[in-house]
Amino acid sequence: MAKGLLDQAARTHGGRVIAALAARFRDLDLAEEAFADACLKAAQVWPRLSSEGDGAPRDPAAWLYAVAQRQALDRLRRRVTRARHVPDPPEPPPSAEDAMTDDARLIPDERLRLIFVCCHPAVAPDARAALTLRLVCGLTTQEIARAFLVSEPTLAQRLTRAKRKIADAGIPFEVPGPEAWSERLGAVLSTLEVAYAKAHEDAAGAGAHAGYAREMLDLTAVLVELLPGEPECLSFAALVRYAEARRPARLDEDGAMTPLSQQDPALWRRPLIAEAETLLRRAARWRRPGPRQLQAAIHAAWCGRASLAEPAPWPTVLALYDALLTWRDDAVVRLNRAVAVAEVSGPAQALAEVDGLDSALFRDFGPFHAVRADLLARLSRGDEAVAAYDRALALDPAPAERLWLERRRAEVAPA
Amino acid sequence: MEYALVIYEDEAVYGEEGSQVWLDIFAQHEAFAAELVEKGLLRGGAGLKPTNTATTVRKVAGQHALHDGPFAESKEQLGGFYVIEVPDLDAALAWARKLPLTADGAVEVRPVLAGST
Repeated sequence: MAKGLLDQAARTHGGRVIAALAARFRDLDLAEEAFADACLKAAQVWPRLSSEGDGAPRDPAAWLYAVAQRQALDRLRRRVTRARHVPDPPEPPPSAEDAMTDDARLIPDERLRLIFVCCHPAVAPDARAALTLRLVCGLTTQEIARAFLVSEPTLAQRLTRAKRKIADAGIPFEVPGPEAWSERLGAVLSTLEVAYAKAHEDAAGAGAHAGYAREMLDLTAVLVELLPGEPECLSFAALVRYAEARRPARLDEDGAMTPLSQQDPALWRRPLIAEAETLLRRAARWRRPGPRQLQAAIHAAWCGRASLAEPAPWPTVLALYDALLTWRDDAVVRLNRAVAVAEVSGPAQALAEVDGLDSALFRDFGPFHAVRADLLARLSRGDEAVAAYDRALALDPAPAERLWLERRRAEVAPA
Repeated sequence: MEYALVIYEDEAVYGEEGSQVWLDIFAQHEAFAAELVEKGLLRGGAGLKPTNTATTVRKVAGQHALHDGPFAESKEQLGGFYVIEVPDLDAALAWARKLPLTADGAVEVRPVLAGST
């Protein structure tokens, strides 16, 4: 019982506690170690808090923070002591009283500062998302390594290197000032986009990537709470909710991926869509459009569909992609736009646009070959379509995508 | 903290010492350094003569060898450095952005080992 409560408390409050410790001591390692110490103490002490009846203090976050803070001071003292060779009296063990005297509201909320530290442009790009998930969301190294498809030692080394860079290079534990604001907020949002793309990639949701979709919902909720006046931030939070709302409809009964236009809107999670709509409306009110606002608007267009009987919103989607191109003209946006072009102007024009893209860039990008295959099939160019499906299948897609691709391929080339 | 702002540029762009480009950037460096001095942040630094004046002493397996030229041939060369005292990396990066460069170039920002200046 206490174990479950402790895990839950660590997961829910860990980010906030670690952030507060890091802000106070300006030392990420110390913050992490002290928090781990506190969790260890909790595992020993909480089961004895039987007066509460449930084996947990009244206010787990406050308890963990109070104990971790003492542990951090203790560790610092030991560092100094080691240098002086004078033994120091140990801290009294944490007791049930800690549960009575503390209040989680007294923990300063430093998570925003911690997010800006983790996503600092001076931190290696491949470590930023991992560090944020580790420190702010409390994911384990193992969970993150699995999601990013790297070995655990590799990821652990990346995290260690990033933390050392933060400490040695003197990356400040501050929210950046106005002169650097847009660049730094951009770095934060790009980092979270990378993290979320990993969580979203796997349609099955049971795969390793989807493991922290829940944390991404929490993290974006924290961001909009802390930055209520940033439309791109609000828009990204909306986007994550729209995408997660559709998760139950992303697989059919055989476990194959269901394309967005064929998903049954009745399966979408309406409360999340409602949350997303509120966020996107708040973003729009600032009248400062940006790429993430347009991306969220594309999701909104889809999620506005009430049933499969309603026509798919392709013309709106195409218009939004056209607008998005003025903000973010990259090959992936153009590829997605081509899918809408196929529905609005026909597959021939869409194929012309897809073939105008840099094919070398997309050589190992499965979705590119899947889109091409579909367009070729619709133009009755069966052999070429089969070749493109084979190319997509050779790139080791997730099981749900594989099943869908195999099915489409079979329709074009009956065995 | 103390940081070194280490300047890398294609020295060919400067032409001869005393060329217009050279004079312009030199004047900008004087203003940049004056601002650092005025704010009490400048701890050291130097501009370097072009790499055709460089001689490299290399130690290989315990033996020293001399050769004419910089330690590495590259498109951009080490041209000089500043050492400044600022609170953190963000402040150092802000100064690096203000540092005078020709159209292209790079400034490497590195913390200085404690007690070395």
